[in-house]
Amino acid sequence: MSLTRNGLYVLASVLIVCLMLAFAPAALADAKVLERWSQTKSYKDKEGAELDVRVTYYSAEYIEALVKEEAEKNLWTADETEQFKYQLLSGLSLDEYIPLNIEFDNRGPTMHLAPFDRFVTLWAGKKKFAPVEYDKRFNFGFQGKRDGLVYFPRYDEKGRSNLEGVKSVRLDMQGSMSSVTMNLTTVDFIFDVARDNPEALYKGKAAARLELDRLIKRMDKLNAERKKLEEQLAELNAEIGTVEQRMEELQRQ
Amino acid sequence: MKKILALVAVVALVAFAAPAFANVNPFMDVPMNHWAYDAIGQLAARGVLSGYPDGTYKGNQPMTRYEAASAIARALAVVDMTKASKQDVEMLKRLVVEFKDELDALGVKVDQIDSRLAVIEERLGGWKLWGEFRYDAWFGAGDDVTEPNLYGTTGSNRFNVSRYRIWMRKFIDDKVTFTARLGSVGAVFERYFLTVKFPWDITAHIGKGDWYDWEDEDGLYIDNDAMFANLSTGFYFNKPFAMGNFVFFVNRPDEINIVGPTSPIERYDIGARVKLNFNEQLWLSLNGILRKYDSNVLFAPAIDQEDEHIYWGAVGINFTPAIALKAAYYAQEIQTGPTTESPNSFQAIIDIKQDALKFTSFWAEYRSFDNNFTAWNAEPWNLYGDVTGLNLGADYDSVMFFYLKQKWTDQWSTFQRYFIGNARNEIPGVTDNTTNWTFGVKYNYTPGLSFELAYDKIENSHTLVNDDDSVIRFRTHIAF
Repeated sequence: MSLTRNGLYVLASVLIVCLMLAFAPAALADAKVLERWSQTKSYKDKEGAELDVRVTYYSAEYIEALVKEEAEKNLWTADETEQFKYQLLSGLSLDEYIPLNIEFDNRGPTMHLAPFDRFVTLWAGKKKFAPVEYDKRFNFGFQGKRDGLVYFPRYDEKGRSNLEGVKSVRLDMQGSMSSVTMNLTTVDFIFDVARDNPEALYKGKAAARLELDRLIKRMDKLNAERKKLEEQLAELNAEIGTVEQRMEELQRQ
Repeated sequence: MKKILALVAVVALVAFAAPAFANVNPFMDVPMNHWAYDAIGQLAARGVLSGYPDGTYKGNQPMTRYEAASAIARALAVVDMTKASKQDVEMLKRLVVEFKDELDALGVKVDQIDSRLAVIEERLGGWKLWGEFRYDAWFGAGDDVTEPNLYGTTGSNRFNVSRYRIWMRKFIDDKVTFTARLGSVGAVFERYFLTVKFPWDITAHIGKGDWYDWEDEDGLYIDNDAMFANLSTGFYFNKPFAMGNFVFFVNRPDEINIVGPTSPIERYDIGARVKLNFNEQLWLSLNGILRKYDSNVLFAPAIDQEDEHIYWGAVGINFTPAIALKAAYYAQEIQTGPTTESPNSFQAIIDIKQDALKFTSFWAEYRSFDNNFTAWNAEPWNLYGDVTGLNLGADYDSVMFFYLKQKWTDQWSTFQRYFIGNARNEIPGVTDNTTNWTFGVKYNYTPGLSFELAYDKIENSHTLVNDDDSVIRFRTHIAF
C-alpha cells in the first residue's frame, strides 16, 4: 500500500476523531461555550522562544457559562452566585464597553508594548476602534505571564451600538509586538458575536442590581444637570435682579 | 532628562483617581526576602523616597502587602524626583505593578495612568532593547569521514553559540518606528527597517526584514520554516479591512549580497496576498509571488537564472477554536530555457490543540508533490538535520509529518515529531523512503531561560540509502 493511501487513511481517521470532538454531546455544552469565546494562538521562533496569546470575548453566553462553572466549582448558593455575577458584570462595564481579556505567556524575549493601544485594533463591521482603556501593566516590558482587560467603545457618539448588525468582530494585534511574531503581519482573533445569546444574561438578582446601578448613575447625571440648570437659572435671576434694580435707579433719576 | 523622566513618573503615579476593588488578600505578609524591601530601601537611601509619616515602613520589619502599598503610596506623594534616575523610575514602576491591587484599593488607581505616559516614556527613554541567544551541545553526530554527517557538525560533537539576535526599536513619532536586529552572521545588522503609518490604515515596512511569512500567517507549517517566505528588502504594504487584509510588496535583494554587475541573484520579487475571514470558523487566502530575474546579456545562458513564480490558495475550517482542518494548493511555474514547467503541490493539515485532547496537541500533515516542485527558502522539515533538501518534487511524491506536544506544567513539556517521505523513484540499494523522528523534553527554568534535550534520527536523507545519522542535542536558550 502506498504512503499516499496510508496517509489519506490516517488523515481521514483523525478527521473523524476531530468531528466527534467538535460535535460532542450537550453535556459538554458549557465547556464548548467557554472554549469558543476564549481562543488561544501559539507561536514559536527558531531560537526556541515561545509565545501563547489567549483572548477572551465576554459574550453573554460566555459569562453565563463562566458563572455556572464557578458556582459549581465553589458550591455556591444562588445568592453567592448572583453576587459573583454582579461583581463580574460591574467590573466588565458591559453597558459602556466591549471588554476583552488578553493573556500573554511569553517564554521568550521581553515584549515592549508601550503604548499598548498602538498594537491592538478591534474591527466591528466596517468600523475600527482603538482601546479606550486598558490595563496599563501592558505598558511595562515583560517576560512570562501577563494578562489584563482591554476596553473598546460599545456605543458611538450618537448612542448607537457599535455591534448593531455586526456578525463578527476581529481583534487585530500587530505581529511586531514580539520578535517571535515579527514575521507576521497580524495576529488576529475572530468572534462571531451574532451567535451570542444576550437575553440569557440579564435575568435574576444580579441583573436587577445592575439596572439599579444604571438608574442610580442616570439619576446622578440628571441631578447634576438639574443643579447646573438651577445654577444657570439663579445666575439669570441674579442678572435680571441687577438689571431691574438699575432700571429702577435710572427711572428714579 | 532625568528630571523630565522623574516628572513623568510622578504625574503618572501620583495623579490618580477613584478607588477600585482589590482581588488579593491585602493582609497577606510580604516575605522578608521579597525584593520590594530592597527596592524601597534603595530608593530611600538614594533620597528618592523620604518621609513615612506614620512610620509604616521600617525597612527591616515584616509588613503586610497593604502596609507596603500604603508606604509606597505615602512615599510617592513626597517623592523627590530631582534625585531619581531612570533606574529609580523603573524600580518605582515595578513596585507599583507589584502592589497594583492594593494601591488601587488605597485610591491610587494604577489603571487610570494616562496612556500618554507610555508615549512620553518611549520618546524620552529612546531605544527598547531585547534579544535572545541559544547555546547548543551536539553529541554523537556522524563525523563526515567514516559516516554521514547530517547535522552540520565538524567531527561528531560540537559546542557552540549557534545563534544570537539582539533587537532594538525606537518610536520616532506617532507614525514612524525604526526596528533593527543585530545578528549572528558577522555581527552585523541583519534587519533594519522603518514602519510607517499612512492614511487609509495602510502600513508600510521599508528596508530589510522578514515580513512575508504567509504560510505561517495561515498556520501551514509547524516545523522548520516556510517554503516560500524569504527575507524581504524593499517595500511592503499592508491594508487591513474588517475581516482580513491585503498585502503587496516589491522586493529586490540587498546589494550587500551582490558581487559585480552580473550576479545571478539580481531580481525582483513581487508579491500580493489577500486573507478573508468569513467568520470564526472559515477563512481563505490567495497568495502569489512573481520572481523575475534581470535580463543580462553579459551572463552565460547556461548558468543564468530563469523566472519562477508561485501561486497558492489556502482554506481553513475551525471546527472549534482548538480543532482545525487546513488545506492548500500550490501552483509553481519554473521557466527552463524556452519551456515552462508547472509542478503543483497539495497540502492537508489537521491541527488539534492540547485544549481539545487535554494531554497532548496533535498535528498531522500530508503533502504531495509533482516532479520538480521546489521550495525556495528553506527545507521545511530540516529542524534538526538535513532531511529533505529543497528539491522536494524531484525526490518525493508525497510526505507525511506528525508533531505532538504535551505541556505538563508551566515549566515542563515534551514533544515528538515524525517525518516520512515517499521516494519518487525507489531504486533498490540506492534510494528509499526518508524517515526522521525526534523525542525531546523542555524545561523552562524561568520565562527567559529554557533547556531542551532532544534525540533526533534521520534515515535515508534525501532518499539516499544508508545516508543515516542521529544526534543528542542539548540546547540552552536565553532571552532577555
